Amino acid sequence: MERNEFDKMLRDRLAGVTEPAPDVWEGISRGLARKHRRVLLRSFATGAVAAAAGLAVALLVFRGPQAARQVEAPVRTAQAVQSVQPAAPAPAEVAPIATQIAQFTKHQVTAQAFIPHEAPVTVEEEQPAVETPVTEAPDTETPAVETPVTSQNDPVEPQHQLTEEDLPADFWREDVPARKTHTSNLSISSNITTVGSEGDLIYKASPMHSSSQTGSRAASAVEPVSGSPKFFSPLSLGLQLEIPLSGPVFLSTGLSYSYLVSQYDMLVDKVRYEGAYNQLHYVGIPLSLSWHFVETPSVGVYASAGGAVEKCVAQRYVYASNTLSEKVAGLQWSARVGLGVEYWFVPRLGLYFDPSLVYFFDNHQPLSIRTQQPLQARFEVGLRFKL
Amino acid sequence: MRDPSTYTEAELIAGCVRGERKAQQVLYERYASVMYPVCIRYLGREDAKDVLQDGFLTVFDKIGTYKGEGSFEGWMRKIFVNACLMQIRKSDALRFSEDIAESPELGGVLEHGVLEQIESRQILDLIAQLPPGLRSVFNLFVMEGYSHAEVAEALGMTEQSSRSQVSRARSLLQKKIKELYNGKK
Repeated sequence: MERNEFDKMLRDRLAGVTEPAPDVWEGISRGLARKHRRVLLRSFATGAVAAAAGLAVALLVFRGPQAARQVEAPVRTAQAVQSVQPAAPAPAEVAPIATQIAQFTKHQVTAQAFIPHEAPVTVEEEQPAVETPVTEAPDTETPAVETPVTSQNDPVEPQHQLTEEDLPADFWREDVPARKTHTSNLSISSNITTVGSEGDLIYKASPMHSSSQTGSRAASAVEPVSGSPKFFSPLSLGLQLEIPLSGPVFLSTGLSYSYLVSQYDMLVDKVRYEGAYNQLHYVGIPLSLSWHFVETPSVGVYASAGGAVEKCVAQRYVYASNTLSEKVAGLQWSARVGLGVEYWFVPRLGLYFDPSLVYFFDNHQPLSIRTQQPLQARFEVGLRFKL
Repeated sequence: MRDPSTYTEAELIAGCVRGERKAQQVLYERYASVMYPVCIRYLGREDAKDVLQDGFLTVFDKIGTYKGEGSFEGWMRKIFVNACLMQIRKSDALRFSEDIAESPELGGVLEHGVLEQIESRQILDLIAQLPPGLRSVFNLFVMEGYSHAEVAEALGMTEQSSRSQVSRARSLLQKKIKELYNGKK
């Protein structure tokens, strides 16, 4: 037999050959679900990063320069003072106070209190820092405006001589903590709930949704069928404002969005569909109190408790090649407790990680992981901005 | 409501592009038994199962790129062939193909009428028993209709090497068929 003849015969023999394939659909289905989750996560992450970046830029543009000046002012003032009289000894009665004031920056007394000798001094404790021109050398041409720092060549009329009586009684006590000022925080969060599960159907709630297709049916056209439903990890995105109430106690509220996907067998108009999908979109308002029991300039730890009310704004069933949208009545209430850590990597921008336990009350909502497993562990991460 | 199993190929493809799981499942059920033998030819029965799964995942991932030019089955077959070649590359099986090509001529010309006596399933298994390097070159050239230049490019070898390996694979396969035929008699 010639080569070409053999090749052709072989091709013909195997052209239409079929072989019973092993059942790998389960694996394919799992792979597709993983991919779907990855795509969703990527979309959420992209959205969160874009929102965070936009907000960060907005903060920098509208608030950043002022904030930067406020932070820089004391330093620059101190440099100016030191450069004016680097070697000048202070008078004996002023030097101890001035030296100690310079050390006690935690009381927010800036180096404005460090006054060159013979210069009249005015110090107002906790006076907000003002922008001070940095002078490398005494400048007789430029009068010092808006600055309490003076040089020998630029006398300013004295207002009040600094004495120890001007300082608070506890000023010299080392054990008195610095007074903390709490500001409001804005958080952009994304959370993942590790509850994606499979198992027997537990569904007691009666759906109270009406079909948008007919517009007249009070009951749902869809009915879950007993079986082994799959629930994918819910994805959420949120924007929260944290307002200081009293001391280390904050009140948080905002807006949240959650996306829940379930896959189960269902009857649609009495026809059974296996492995159909249900997609739920919730928008909610969380409300919680948090107690910040560890606060350092860069790290904070807090406990929080609260709840949320959510409204399902869209529900969609996907079965075979069809989709069906239905309205969902009622609200979903939930309660949560958590412990969070925040890390401020720049003065006004930080990251936080907020693991919590959430309980979803039975509010007759459509079948989802929330009805199947009301108690869930949630891991929230996000960016936090000081306003 | 139509049963998805009655969908035409175009309807199934459209459903898969939309990411509908039922359409994907029907497509899998319709083509798994066609693509499985392709995987067996390249990898043998052991590894064919894994590649069958990966191949379908790739099909569902890339199905939006199918423009309707040429048969859909042919488009799918290319994806599965590529998946098989990737698997072979991963296992480094092609590294030994050059050595095999240098081995002495095996001979074995098949008489007329012998091939017709062998079942398709047995032919598949005989091809799968070829050494991995020879098997890949033979499958691409004889079964998929690649030219030697295309085989050389796909497998990173010279055209001459592709020619000699196809020749050796053919001889070896004919020998195996003959042995099986003689054993049957």
